[in-house]
Amino acid sequence: MDKKRYCAVLAAAGCLAAPVSIPTSSWAQATVVTPTPRGARPAPPADGLRRDGDGAPETQWEPTPPPSDPHDLNGLWEVPRPSTALRTLDNQAPPFTPEEAKDTQRHVDAEKAGEPIADASTYCFPHGVPRVTNAPFPIRFAYSPGLIVMLYEVNHNVRFVHMDGKPAPANTPFTFLGYSVGHWDGNTLVVETDHLNNRTLLDSHTSHGPKLKVTERFTKVKANLGHTDLEVMETISDPDHFTKPFSMKRNFAFRSDLERDAGWGGLTEYACEENNRNIPDAFGISTAK
Amino acid sequence: MKMNSKMGLALLASTALLGAAGAAAAAGPDFDGIPQSRRPPASQPYIGGAWTMPTRPKAVKTVDGKEPPLLPAARAEYQKRQADLKKDPKTDPIADCLPHGPLRIFYNQYPLLIVQESDQVDFVFEANHTYRFVDLTRGPPQLNDDTRTSTYMGYATGKWQGKTLVVDTMGFNDKTWLDGSGLPHGEKLKTEEKFTLKDANTLEGVVTITDPDNYSAPWSTSFTLKRLANYQPTEMVCVNDHKM
Repeated sequence: MDKKRYCAVLAAAGCLAAPVSIPTSSWAQATVVTPTPRGARPAPPADGLRRDGDGAPETQWEPTPPPSDPHDLNGLWEVPRPSTALRTLDNQAPPFTPEEAKDTQRHVDAEKAGEPIADASTYCFPHGVPRVTNAPFPIRFAYSPGLIVMLYEVNHNVRFVHMDGKPAPANTPFTFLGYSVGHWDGNTLVVETDHLNNRTLLDSHTSHGPKLKVTERFTKVKANLGHTDLEVMETISDPDHFTKPFSMKRNFAFRSDLERDAGWGGLTEYACEENNRNIPDAFGISTAK
Repeated sequence: MKMNSKMGLALLASTALLGAAGAAAAAGPDFDGIPQSRRPPASQPYIGGAWTMPTRPKAVKTVDGKEPPLLPAARAEYQKRQADLKKDPKTDPIADCLPHGPLRIFYNQYPLLIVQESDQVDFVFEANHTYRFVDLTRGPPQLNDDTRTSTYMGYATGKWQGKTLVVDTMGFNDKTWLDGSGLPHGEKLKTEEKFTLKDANTLEGVVTITDPDNYSAPWSTSFTLKRLANYQPTEMVCVNDHKM
């Protein structure tokens, strides 16, 4: 298993359940002081290249390019510098409501004290949106009539994006991954998700409620070395937790090297339930060991 | 598969009534909006879409109705599992919500979405959101490759042979049961699955089990899947006693 390439940079509790050895320093790396700034970012390497956990620079990542059709998202996409942290496009804290600022701080303080407060993914439940996309694990897209299926390595999450243009049916339940409707806006896949239950966190600290709506815009763009990135613009709206909507951006790299070398589409099996070393206690307190 | 409260499972399943995904069933697949590069060739039978297994025996038999050719040690293990199951249903590995493993993953009441593309086929099982990726671009995986061993669902490659999709899978761990009755398998297990459309709404699967540590000869079993019209995907989550 090649999981170390992901978990070495881990800042998400759910990853601790992966059946692999993971540095316990992950929690220390994730520790932050206040809601701003959130999440320590690794310093850029001297040569300016992004690297995976094994040190392979991005010049080796894309031996074959992704499909030229902008609507064909086939292949393995991975965030090179993962961070679940919520930061606006101008690198500011999200516009928390006063209550949410307080509650986020409570989570931050608990984590600092070595007793992070568990959320759904800590129990091997699905991660929620957008956290599942921001987790440090790769993603694939698959195309079925009427649906785009998103296959996530992390905890084998699966999302179904309805491409019929219709909103969620009236009786749609609130679930961990919600109900997603997608359409193409030019070369951008726009995915709008609601009906998300409130048992997940947006990152490791910030809660949301049933009014959460997440819009993800996926666009293939040229990266600095001529490689291709999948740019993901995420807009979060939840008037009970934020005073206004805000957006975040992440770029996924095209990892045809992993797909070529590992087989199985480059995905490795992730069985959270097998070895969850992070099961919270009766009070929902989870201490990584 | 029994995923119910007596196994201590938290289960979320939502009902589903509508869905564009199922509309394609009768008239053939509607690839409108899907890039040409992702579409399977028109010459291929289309096994994509949602499927369910109406008849699910707990103990699988060979295609000629016999018990699989268990070796003595495997038979002893099989009998022990059956005795343990009677005493405590939680001795079943899926009681801990672990992936079902080969063959058994088909034998549950939750739908399966097959995503058929030009160079890959995905089997997306609603049961605990388990998926299998079948690579159509390379030959069967080899054992002794440390990236392809000891997994619950194995590593799969496939090819079309005439009207049949043939899937070779290996690289399994030995923690899963081949069926609900406890048929064992080991890490040397290889499966060959042949999927053939019998009619537009009926998919036959014939699975050949080769596992020299547990069976005296390769053996085959078969099952029938029926197409689900108007399929709406559902989030089904199984976690064990990690309540929240």
